[in-house]
Amino acid sequence: MQSCLLFISLLLSVLTSRLYAQTTFPADGESIRYTAYIEHRINTEKHGYVSGICILHRDGDTVHGSLFNEFGITALDFTYHLEKKKVKLHTVMPMMNKWYIRKVLRKDLRQLMTGLQNGETTWKDERYHIEYQLTPLL
Amino acid sequence: MALLPMFGQSIGSTRINTDEIKHKINQAASGIKTMQCDFVQTKHLKMLNDKLVSKGKMYYQKSDKLRWEYVSPYAYTFILNADKVLLKNQKRNDVIDVNQNKVFKEIARIMMNTVTGNCLTDDKSFKTTLTTTSTEWIATLIPQRKDMKGMFQKIILHFSKQKGMVTQVELMEKNGDKTLIELKNTKQNETLDAKLFAVH
Repeated sequence: MQSCLLFISLLLSVLTSRLYAQTTFPADGESIRYTAYIEHRINTEKHGYVSGICILHRDGDTVHGSLFNEFGITALDFTYHLEKKKVKLHTVMPMMNKWYIRKVLRKDLRQLMTGLQNGETTWKDERYHIEYQLTPLL
Repeated sequence: MALLPMFGQSIGSTRINTDEIKHKINQAASGIKTMQCDFVQTKHLKMLNDKLVSKGKMYYQKSDKLRWEYVSPYAYTFILNADKVLLKNQKRNDVIDVNQNKVFKEIARIMMNTVTGNCLTDDKSFKTTLTTTSTEWIATLIPQRKDMKGMFQKIILHFSKQKGMVTQVELMEKNGDKTLIELKNTKQNETLDAKLFAVH
């Protein structure tokens, strides 16, 4: 009886985690909208943040993403290749369009996209103290 | 005809005098003590071939108070009161001194000048051309400052001839995205609660 309950419990946890993963990352041909929050923090001190909206659209092995602030001004346009696990930046707003920032963004977006596929909506870049958070818009 | 560019533009069969229109808009703007309206913001994303519609409310009080509040599909409030800006989202409230933050000083200046139409006379920031229809004056603003040039191709403002005030704003970005903001149910010169502009 106990092993039966354990099996059901495990089955439910796998099913719910798969369901959660599906709702945090777009299926082929689908789009998902998120509120986006990016914060730069060293220890407990907040150095700055950006908030806005992120839209991801999946087309086969490619995910097209756009991040813009609440007023509609684009911060980033990018594509993520699922097979190659590679991010390509298309648009970066002028104040962030520096080679060293682009390098960090590419790496962090790759981690964020990989995590989203597993239902993880937050990515912390421990080296540069940046936290990225995407919450699906209901 | 050679003198035409100096005095105005010819649009279709309608010859317009840009100085006269600017004067009319500024005259109407100077009569606005308070303004409140609903707005609908539609962001068109070229790369994703998608759009996001946001809705909210705007309140303005002459000469340096503005509340821009999104109510759906996300909650976000931007309040400008003199040299202070309050940013409020679901996670936090932040008060910023615009004199110590160049980006917010620019955002605050553009938002305020766009609502009031004052950007038409800001020759340092924009090169402006005006056209007209039977119901509207349409101002096309080409950014002249480096920081603005990097983001926007142009900004188009639609003014109601009847009211002499902005009814639509189009922000055309360098990446081909476009944001259309429509101002609706506008009320002018009604008393506004001071709490709307509180930044504490």
